Amino acid sequence: MKSECQRYLEDPEANASHPDTCVECAFFAEIGADDAPRRPIVIESLPLAPWEEAKHRPWPLILGGALAVLAIAAAVFAAAGATPMQVLRRVFPNFDLILSTVRLLGEGVEHAPAGLQIALAISFVLVNTVFYLLLRRAPKGIDV
Amino acid sequence: MFRIARVLVPLTTIGAVAVMIMLLSPHGASGDVRSASSDEYVFGRDAAIDQPVHGNVQVYFGNVIVQSVIEGDLLVYGGDVTLREPGRVTGRLIHGGGTVTGADGRVGRVYSMSSLEGATATLTTTAVVLSLLFVWLVTAVIVTMWNGREIRYSSIEIRSSALHCFALGLVALTSFLLTAVVFSYLIGIVIGIPLLAALGVFAILTKVYGMIAVFHAVGTLVAGPRTREQLAARKWLRGDIAMVVVGVLILGAIRMIPVIGPIVWGGASVFGVGVALATKFGRREPWFLAWRPAEV
Repeated sequence: MKSECQRYLEDPEANASHPDTCVECAFFAEIGADDAPRRPIVIESLPLAPWEEAKHRPWPLILGGALAVLAIAAAVFAAAGATPMQVLRRVFPNFDLILSTVRLLGEGVEHAPAGLQIALAISFVLVNTVFYLLLRRAPKGIDV
Repeated sequence: MFRIARVLVPLTTIGAVAVMIMLLSPHGASGDVRSASSDEYVFGRDAAIDQPVHGNVQVYFGNVIVQSVIEGDLLVYGGDVTLREPGRVTGRLIHGGGTVTGADGRVGRVYSMSSLEGATATLTTTAVVLSLLFVWLVTAVIVTMWNGREIRYSSIEIRSSALHCFALGLVALTSFLLTAVVFSYLIGIVIGIPLLAALGVFAILTKVYGMIAVFHAVGTLVAGPRTREQLAARKWLRGDIAMVVVGVLILGAIRMIPVIGPIVWGGASVFGVGVALATKFGRREPWFLAWRPAEV
């Protein structure tokens, strides 16, 4: 970079006539980016972007974490004296039960007091209106 | 306009919490025993079955004492069930939010609406929670491998707009609940079941995606690199999948704490549902297209 250009970049007001004699500085002054192309970019000084190294796949950590959780679960199952299938069968309802419960709840709602049904209808409209309004807002997060 | 927008989200949060509480405990909506053919329905007060019932009995937000035979199912939500001789339930006893006394040998089958309530032993409950944690870990890793960018974007949204995500999550969950109630009116004309199933699948997918975004956000907050030097010095603890794994392990460890764990996990679910919907599953697309008249 020429010394005149350097002086202009350091103090543009004191060297206001410099772009008249320098095509390069005149161009950058015109587009409003006087020093951008010529100032060296130090990558280390820039903030860390979320996408940097995001694709890295640390398999030892993934497998270690999964195996640790699985081993603890197996140990606790053994201590409880039950097999995973026995417990899961007891904990999770079968499809027939879900259908029966849904059918019974449906009948219950139909026979609820009129006041409760009106309150439900009003709540349904109000809540879904607010839901619609909140969904219209654009997300804020930036990930370039 | 800007001031209104500022207070809208906190007001919405308060409103959504109030509606959610009202929905889950409508004690004010008390009513009489209502009968449809031979079925009986009781809302907001205690009931006693002293005469034989040839049909189903449903009691909401009240206790029930069964001293006679119910030839059908008994569904009780938000109350205790007591069976005394010669009380019997020939069908199923389905209950939620209460205790059951004297059911041994007097009921066809007993089911609890709360999934983990059936596993009474603490050790068994811990084992089930750990098994589910393993399933969460595997699911989170697979989803992040295929949709890392979307998960990362949603994670950033949670951190940059937490209150909005929470408010949207609360409103969405309330909306799901109310919509399910409205769909349940349609069960009688067949269409209700597929509509409820579709709503259930959508709600589950929203929660699963959202929870993975929450895992990523928690992992990044706790273990994310702050500088480029830190990032370069790390061998394993970097990248989207690592952050998700760390988040699963942290939230999973918190989930093991009695009382606090389920509350924290529930709060994370609200954030998750909110961020999944706020970012349209990380796609950054609008849910609704704005209509503008064509320029002539």
